[in-house]
Amino acid sequence: MAYSEKVIDHYNNPRNMGSFKKEEDGVGTGIVGAPECGDVMKLQIKVENDTIVDAKFKTFGCGSAIASSSLATEWLKGKTVDEAGQIKNTEIVQELNLPPVKIHCSVLAEDAIKAALNDYKKKAATATTPEETAASAGS
Amino acid sequence: MSTQPTSTDHTSRELPMARSMCWHCQSDVCGEYFCGRCVKVQPLSKELDYFTCMNLPRLLSIDEKTLEDTFYSLSRTFHPDFYATKDEGEKCVSLGNTAILNTAYRTLKNPIQRAEYLIRLEAGSVKDIRSTPPADLFEEILELQEDLDEFRALAGPRDSDRGRELRSKLQNDRATLETRQEQLKARLFGKFQEWDALQISSEATAETQSQKAAVLKAMQEILSNRTYVRNIVNDLIAATS
Repeated sequence: MAYSEKVIDHYNNPRNMGSFKKEEDGVGTGIVGAPECGDVMKLQIKVENDTIVDAKFKTFGCGSAIASSSLATEWLKGKTVDEAGQIKNTEIVQELNLPPVKIHCSVLAEDAIKAALNDYKKKAATATTPEETAASAGS
Repeated sequence: MSTQPTSTDHTSRELPMARSMCWHCQSDVCGEYFCGRCVKVQPLSKELDYFTCMNLPRLLSIDEKTLEDTFYSLSRTFHPDFYATKDEGEKCVSLGNTAILNTAYRTLKNPIQRAEYLIRLEAGSVKDIRSTPPADLFEEILELQEDLDEFRALAGPRDSDRGRELRSKLQNDRATLETRQEQLKARLFGKFQEWDALQISSEATAETQSQKAAVLKAMQEILSNRTYVRNIVNDLIAATS
Protein backbone atom coordinates (compact mmCIF):
# COMPACT_ATOMS: atom_id res chain seq x y z
CA MET A 1 0.00 0.00 0.00
CA ALA A 2 1.48 3.31 -1.02
CA TYR A 3 1.45 6.31 1.27
CA SER A 4 -0.92 9.15 0.42
CA GLU A 5 0.55 12.36 -0.94
CA LYS A 6 -0.19 14.16 2.31
CA VAL A 7 1.69 11.57 4.33
CA ILE A 8 4.66 11.84 1.99
CA ASP A 9 4.57 15.62 2.21
CA HIS A 10 4.63 15.58 6.02
CA TYR A 11 7.32 12.92 5.95
CA ASN A 12 9.57 14.89 3.63
CA ASN A 13 8.82 18.28 5.19
CA PRO A 14 7.91 17.58 8.78
CA ARG A 15 6.40 20.64 10.45
CA ASN A 16 7.54 21.67 13.91
CA MET A 17 10.11 18.98 14.45
CA GLY A 18 12.17 19.55 17.57
CA SER A 19 11.69 19.97 21.26
CA PHE A 20 11.29 22.41 24.14
CA LYS A 21 12.93 22.19 27.51
CA LYS A 22 10.62 20.07 29.62
CA GLU A 23 11.05 22.22 32.71
CA GLU A 24 10.16 25.42 30.89
CA ASP A 25 7.04 27.22 32.12
CA GLY A 26 3.89 26.42 30.18
CA VAL A 27 5.41 23.42 28.42
CA GLY A 28 3.54 20.14 28.45
CA THR A 29 5.28 16.96 27.30
CA GLY A 30 3.67 13.73 26.14
CA ILE A 31 5.75 10.65 25.37
CA VAL A 32 3.87 7.61 24.11
CA GLY A 33 4.65 4.40 22.28
CA ALA A 34 2.89 1.77 20.23
CA PRO A 35 3.73 -1.66 21.65
CA GLU A 36 2.68 -3.39 18.42
CA CYS A 37 5.26 -1.73 16.20
CA GLY A 38 7.64 -0.13 18.69
CA ASP A 39 7.17 3.44 17.46
CA VAL A 40 7.91 6.16 20.00
CA MET A 41 6.45 9.66 19.80
CA LYS A 42 7.21 12.78 21.79
CA LEU A 43 4.87 15.72 21.47
CA GLN A 44 5.20 19.02 23.32
CA ILE A 45 3.00 22.07 23.62
CA LYS A 46 3.78 25.54 24.86
CA VAL A 47 0.84 27.29 26.46
CA GLU A 48 0.36 30.98 27.19
CA ASN A 49 -2.91 32.32 28.60
CA ASP A 50 -4.64 29.00 27.99
CA THR A 51 -3.73 29.06 24.30
CA ILE A 52 -1.23 26.78 22.63
CA VAL A 53 1.28 29.15 21.08
CA ASP A 54 3.71 26.54 19.84
CA ALA A 55 4.02 22.78 19.45
CA LYS A 56 6.87 20.44 18.62
CA PHE A 57 7.30 16.75 18.02
CA LYS A 58 9.87 14.04 17.60
CA THR A 59 8.72 10.70 16.31
CA PHE A 60 10.77 7.59 15.74
CA GLY A 61 8.69 5.28 13.64
CA CYS A 62 7.04 4.81 10.30
CA GLY A 63 6.01 7.52 7.85
CA SER A 64 2.40 7.49 9.01
CA ALA A 65 3.39 8.03 12.62
CA ILE A 66 5.64 10.92 11.65
CA ALA A 67 2.95 12.46 9.46
CA SER A 68 0.28 12.03 12.16
CA SER A 69 2.36 13.83 14.77
CA SER A 70 3.49 16.50 12.33
CA LEU A 71 -0.11 17.22 11.41
CA ALA A 72 -1.10 17.20 15.08
CA THR A 73 1.40 19.96 15.91
CA GLU A 74 0.02 22.04 13.03
CA TRP A 75 -3.49 21.68 14.33
CA LEU A 76 -2.55 22.34 17.94
CA LYS A 77 -1.12 25.79 17.34
CA GLY A 78 -3.63 28.52 18.12
CA LYS A 79 -6.07 26.20 19.88
CA THR A 80 -7.06 26.59 23.51
CA VAL A 81 -6.25 23.76 25.87
CA ASP A 82 -9.87 22.59 25.84
CA GLU A 83 -10.14 22.72 22.06
CA ALA A 84 -6.93 20.73 21.76
CA GLY A 85 -8.40 17.99 23.93
CA GLN A 86 -11.10 17.47 21.35
CA ILE A 87 -8.84 16.51 18.45
CA LYS A 88 -9.79 12.99 17.43
CA ASN A 89 -7.67 10.39 15.75
CA THR A 90 -10.40 9.91 13.13
CA GLU A 91 -9.83 13.46 11.92
CA ILE A 92 -6.16 12.64 11.41
CA VAL A 93 -7.09 9.45 9.57
CA GLN A 94 -9.32 11.44 7.24
CA GLU A 95 -6.91 14.24 6.61
CA LEU A 96 -4.01 11.90 5.85
CA ASN A 97 -6.00 9.18 4.15
CA LEU A 98 -4.50 6.52 6.37
CA PRO A 99 -5.21 2.90 5.43
CA PRO A 100 -6.67 0.58 8.11
CA VAL A 101 -3.29 -0.92 9.05
CA LYS A 102 -2.00 2.56 9.91
CA ILE A 103 -4.88 3.75 12.04
CA HIS A 104 -2.92 2.97 15.19
CA CYS A 105 -0.48 5.73 14.18
CA SER A 106 -3.26 8.31 14.45
CA VAL A 107 -4.31 6.82 17.78
CA LEU A 108 -0.74 7.27 18.94
CA ALA A 109 -0.87 10.95 17.93
CA GLU A 110 -4.13 11.45 19.83
CA ASP A 111 -2.63 9.73 22.87
CA ALA A 112 0.41 11.99 22.62
CA ILE A 113 -1.77 15.12 22.52
CA LYS A 114 -3.70 13.92 25.58
CA ALA A 115 -0.50 13.09 27.43
CA ALA A 116 0.98 16.51 26.66
CA LEU A 117 -2.19 18.27 27.78
CA ASN A 118 -2.32 16.25 31.00
CA ASP A 119 1.31 17.00 31.71
CA TYR A 120 0.68 20.70 31.14
CA LYS A 121 -2.38 20.71 33.41
CA LYS A 122 -0.55 18.83 36.12
CA LYS A 123 2.31 21.30 36.00
CA ALA A 124 -0.04 24.26 35.97
CA ALA A 125 -1.94 22.91 38.97
CA THR A 126 1.09 22.25 41.16
CA ALA A 127 3.00 25.34 40.10
CA THR A 128 2.40 28.60 41.58
CA THR A 129 -0.11 31.37 41.87
CA PRO A 130 -2.44 31.46 44.91
CA GLU A 131 -5.59 31.93 42.82
CA GLU A 132 -4.86 28.88 40.71
CA THR A 133 -4.23 26.78 43.79
CA ALA A 134 -7.49 27.99 45.28
CA ALA A 135 -9.36 27.30 42.06
CA SER A 136 -8.10 23.76 41.69
CA ALA A 137 -8.70 23.04 45.37
CA GLY A 138 -12.30 24.10 44.91
CA SER A 139 -12.98 21.72 42.06
CA MET B 1 -10.72 -7.96 40.86
CA SER B 2 -10.39 -11.61 41.93
CA THR B 3 -14.06 -11.75 42.89
CA GLN B 4 -15.21 -11.59 39.28
CA PRO B 5 -16.50 -15.00 38.19
CA THR B 6 -14.78 -16.08 35.04
CA SER B 7 -15.96 -19.64 34.84
CA THR B 8 -17.61 -19.20 31.46
CA ASP B 9 -14.32 -18.36 29.80
CA HIS B 10 -12.64 -21.30 31.36
CA THR B 11 -15.19 -23.94 30.55
CA SER B 12 -15.96 -22.78 27.03
CA ARG B 13 -12.76 -24.22 25.66
CA GLU B 14 -13.60 -27.66 27.00
CA LEU B 15 -16.94 -27.64 25.21
CA PRO B 16 -17.11 -29.78 22.12
CA MET B 17 -16.85 -28.15 18.72
CA ALA B 18 -20.06 -26.46 17.61
CA ARG B 19 -22.11 -28.59 15.29
CA SER B 20 -22.34 -27.47 11.73
CA MET B 21 -23.37 -28.73 8.34
CA CYS B 22 -21.41 -30.43 5.59
CA TRP B 23 -20.96 -27.85 2.83
CA HIS B 24 -21.75 -30.53 0.27
CA CYS B 25 -24.51 -32.84 1.54
CA GLN B 26 -25.80 -30.79 4.49
CA SER B 27 -25.53 -33.62 6.94
CA ASP B 28 -24.30 -32.99 10.48
CA VAL B 29 -20.59 -32.60 11.02
CA CYS B 30 -18.89 -31.88 14.29
CA GLY B 31 -15.28 -30.92 13.73
CA GLU B 32 -14.45 -34.05 11.74
CA TYR B 33 -12.10 -33.53 8.82
CA PHE B 34 -14.33 -35.50 6.46
CA CYS B 35 -18.10 -35.72 6.24
CA GLY B 36 -19.34 -39.04 7.59
CA ARG B 37 -21.79 -39.43 4.76
CA CYS B 38 -20.39 -38.00 1.54
CA VAL B 39 -16.71 -38.20 2.62
CA LYS B 40 -15.97 -34.68 1.34
CA VAL B 41 -13.17 -32.81 3.12
CA GLN B 42 -14.50 -30.20 5.58
CA PRO B 43 -13.14 -26.74 6.34
CA LEU B 44 -11.40 -26.44 9.71
CA SER B 45 -13.73 -24.80 12.19
CA LYS B 46 -13.33 -21.06 12.69
CA GLU B 47 -13.41 -21.71 16.44
CA LEU B 48 -10.47 -24.07 16.26
CA ASP B 49 -7.50 -22.50 17.99
CA TYR B 50 -3.97 -23.40 16.89
CA PHE B 51 -3.18 -25.35 20.05
CA THR B 52 -6.21 -27.60 19.66
CA CYS B 53 -5.55 -27.86 15.95
CA MET B 54 -2.04 -29.15 16.66
CA ASN B 55 -3.17 -31.51 19.37
CA LEU B 56 -1.38 -29.53 22.05
CA PRO B 57 -2.54 -28.31 25.46
CA ARG B 58 -2.66 -24.55 25.87
CA LEU B 59 0.81 -24.36 27.38
CA LEU B 60 3.80 -22.27 26.43
CA SER B 61 6.42 -24.99 26.67
CA ILE B 62 5.32 -27.19 23.85
CA ASP B 63 6.21 -30.69 22.83
CA GLU B 64 7.94 -30.00 19.52
CA LYS B 65 7.58 -33.59 18.41
CA THR B 66 3.81 -33.49 18.78
CA LEU B 67 3.77 -30.22 16.87
CA GLU B 68 5.84 -31.64 14.01
CA ASP B 69 4.00 -34.94 13.89
CA THR B 70 0.55 -33.35 13.89
CA PHE B 71 1.63 -30.83 11.31
CA TYR B 72 2.95 -33.46 8.93
CA SER B 73 0.01 -35.76 9.45
CA LEU B 74 -2.55 -32.98 8.86
CA SER B 75 -0.54 -31.73 5.90
CA ARG B 76 -0.92 -35.14 4.34
CA THR B 77 -4.64 -35.00 5.04
CA PHE B 78 -5.23 -31.60 3.49
CA HIS B 79 -2.46 -31.05 0.95
CA PRO B 80 -3.79 -29.57 -2.32
CA ASP B 81 -1.79 -32.12 -4.34
CA PHE B 82 -4.16 -34.82 -3.10
CA TYR B 83 -7.16 -32.85 -4.29
CA ALA B 84 -6.01 -32.12 -7.83
CA THR B 85 -8.61 -34.44 -9.28
CA LYS B 86 -11.42 -33.46 -6.90
CA ASP B 87 -14.16 -30.92 -7.51
CA GLU B 88 -13.71 -27.16 -7.03
CA GLY B 89 -15.33 -27.15 -3.59
CA GLU B 90 -12.92 -29.69 -2.21
CA LYS B 91 -9.90 -28.00 -3.81
CA CYS B 92 -10.95 -24.79 -2.17
CA VAL B 93 -11.33 -26.42 1.27
CA SER B 94 -7.98 -28.17 0.95
CA LEU B 95 -6.28 -24.89 0.10
CA GLY B 96 -7.94 -23.03 2.97
CA ASN B 97 -7.13 -25.72 5.52
CA THR B 98 -3.54 -25.94 4.37
CA ALA B 99 -3.15 -22.19 4.79
CA ILE B 100 -4.54 -22.34 8.34
CA LEU B 101 -2.31 -25.28 9.10
CA ASN B 102 0.83 -23.52 7.90
CA THR B 103 0.05 -20.42 9.93
CA ALA B 104 -0.73 -22.51 13.00
CA TYR B 105 2.56 -24.38 12.67
CA ARG B 106 4.64 -21.25 12.14
CA THR B 107 2.96 -19.43 15.01
CA LEU B 108 3.42 -22.21 17.55
CA LYS B 109 6.93 -23.12 16.46
CA ASN B 110 8.31 -19.68 17.30
CA PRO B 111 8.21 -19.06 21.08
CA ILE B 112 7.68 -15.31 20.75
CA GLN B 113 4.83 -15.69 18.28
CA ARG B 114 3.44 -18.51 20.41
CA ALA B 115 3.29 -16.21 23.43
CA GLU B 116 1.76 -13.36 21.42
CA TYR B 117 -0.85 -15.73 20.08
CA LEU B 118 -1.70 -17.12 23.50
CA ILE B 119 -2.12 -13.59 24.84
CA ARG B 120 -4.50 -12.78 21.98
CA LEU B 121 -6.44 -15.99 22.63
CA GLU B 122 -6.75 -15.34 26.32
CA ALA B 123 -7.19 -11.59 26.05
CA GLY B 124 -10.96 -11.91 26.13
CA SER B 125 -10.81 -13.22 29.67
CA VAL B 126 -8.33 -10.62 30.87
CA LYS B 127 -9.40 -7.13 31.58
CA ASP B 128 -6.91 -4.37 31.08
CA ILE B 129 -4.35 -6.40 29.18
CA ARG B 130 -2.80 -3.21 27.86
CA SER B 131 0.37 -2.66 29.75
CA THR B 132 1.53 0.54 31.35
CA PRO B 133 3.89 2.38 29.01
CA PRO B 134 7.52 2.11 30.07
CA ALA B 135 8.25 5.81 30.60
CA ASP B 136 11.90 5.30 31.54
CA LEU B 137 12.54 3.25 28.44
CA PHE B 138 10.95 5.94 26.26
CA GLU B 139 13.23 8.59 27.77
CA GLU B 140 16.21 6.39 27.15
CA ILE B 141 15.19 5.74 23.56
CA LEU B 142 14.64 9.42 22.86
CA GLU B 143 18.08 10.27 24.22
CA LEU B 144 19.68 7.57 22.12
CA GLN B 145 17.84 8.78 19.06
CA GLU B 146 19.22 12.28 19.64
CA ASP B 147 22.74 10.86 19.64
CA LEU B 148 21.94 8.84 16.55
CA ASP B 149 20.63 11.95 14.79
CA GLU B 150 23.81 13.80 15.63
CA PHE B 151 25.91 10.89 14.42
CA ARG B 152 24.00 10.60 11.15
CA ALA B 153 24.35 14.34 10.59
CA LEU B 154 28.11 13.94 10.77
CA ALA B 155 27.82 12.00 7.52
CA GLY B 156 31.09 13.05 5.95
CA PRO B 157 33.58 13.83 8.68
CA ARG B 158 32.87 10.96 11.05
CA ASP B 159 36.56 10.64 11.56
CA SER B 160 36.42 13.75 13.67
CA ASP B 161 36.94 13.40 17.40
CA ARG B 162 33.24 13.85 18.01
CA GLY B 163 32.41 11.25 15.39
CA ARG B 164 34.71 8.66 16.93
CA GLU B 165 33.45 9.48 20.39
CA LEU B 166 29.82 9.09 19.31
CA ARG B 167 30.47 5.89 17.43
CA SER B 168 32.09 4.23 20.41
CA LYS B 169 29.34 5.48 22.72
CA LEU B 170 26.64 4.16 20.40
CA GLN B 171 28.41 0.83 20.07
CA ASN B 172 28.54 0.55 23.84
CA ASP B 173 24.85 1.43 24.05
CA ARG B 174 24.12 -1.24 21.52
CA ALA B 175 25.97 -3.87 23.54
CA THR B 176 24.09 -2.83 26.68
CA LEU B 177 20.77 -3.04 24.90
CA GLU B 178 21.57 -6.40 23.39
CA THR B 179 22.27 -7.70 26.88
CA ARG B 180 18.93 -6.31 27.94
CA GLN B 181 17.24 -8.09 25.03
CA GLU B 182 18.65 -11.36 26.33
CA GLN B 183 17.39 -10.56 29.82
CA LEU B 184 13.93 -9.76 28.53
CA LYS B 185 13.86 -13.06 26.69
CA ALA B 186 14.93 -14.92 29.82
CA ARG B 187 12.23 -13.18 31.84
CA LEU B 188 9.67 -14.07 29.20
CA PHE B 189 10.64 -17.73 29.32
CA GLY B 190 10.38 -17.57 33.10
CA LYS B 191 6.78 -16.44 32.67
CA PHE B 192 6.19 -19.38 30.32
CA GLN B 193 6.84 -21.71 33.22
CA GLU B 194 4.60 -19.73 35.56
CA TRP B 195 1.80 -19.89 33.02
CA ASP B 196 2.21 -23.60 32.44
CA ALA B 197 2.27 -24.36 36.15
CA LEU B 198 -0.99 -22.45 36.62
CA GLN B 199 -2.60 -24.13 33.62
CA ILE B 200 -1.67 -27.61 34.74
CA SER B 201 -2.46 -27.33 38.42
CA SER B 202 -5.51 -25.22 38.39
CA GLU B 203 -9.07 -25.72 39.13
CA ALA B 204 -10.73 -22.57 37.86
CA THR B 205 -10.78 -20.69 41.10
CA ALA B 206 -11.01 -16.93 41.04
CA GLU B 207 -7.55 -16.78 42.52
CA THR B 208 -5.81 -18.81 39.81
CA GLN B 209 -7.72 -16.84 37.20
CA SER B 210 -6.36 -13.60 38.52
CA GLN B 211 -2.88 -15.09 38.77
CA LYS B 212 -3.12 -16.13 35.16
CA ALA B 213 -4.25 -12.65 34.19
CA ALA B 214 -1.22 -11.23 35.97
CA VAL B 215 1.13 -13.58 34.09
CA LEU B 216 -0.44 -12.65 30.75
CA LYS B 217 -0.11 -8.99 31.52
CA ALA B 218 3.51 -9.38 32.56
CA MET B 219 4.24 -11.23 29.32
CA GLN B 220 2.53 -8.52 27.33
CA GLU B 221 4.68 -5.94 29.05
CA ILE B 222 7.90 -7.83 28.36
CA LEU B 223 6.91 -8.32 24.73
CA SER B 224 6.22 -4.65 24.11
CA ASN B 225 9.44 -3.59 25.82
CA ARG B 226 11.17 -6.11 23.64
CA THR B 227 9.71 -4.46 20.54
CA TYR B 228 10.89 -1.01 21.60
CA VAL B 229 14.36 -2.29 22.40
CA ARG B 230 14.54 -4.25 19.15
CA ASN B 231 13.71 -1.15 17.11
CA ILE B 232 16.37 0.98 18.70
CA VAL B 233 18.93 -1.81 18.43
CA ASN B 234 18.17 -2.12 14.71
CA ASP B 235 18.59 1.63 14.30
CA LEU B 236 21.91 1.48 16.15
CA ILE B 237 23.12 -1.38 14.00
CA ALA B 238 22.11 0.40 10.80
CA ALA B 239 23.83 3.63 11.77
CA THR B 240 27.09 2.36 13.23
CA SER B 241 28.04 -0.60 11.10
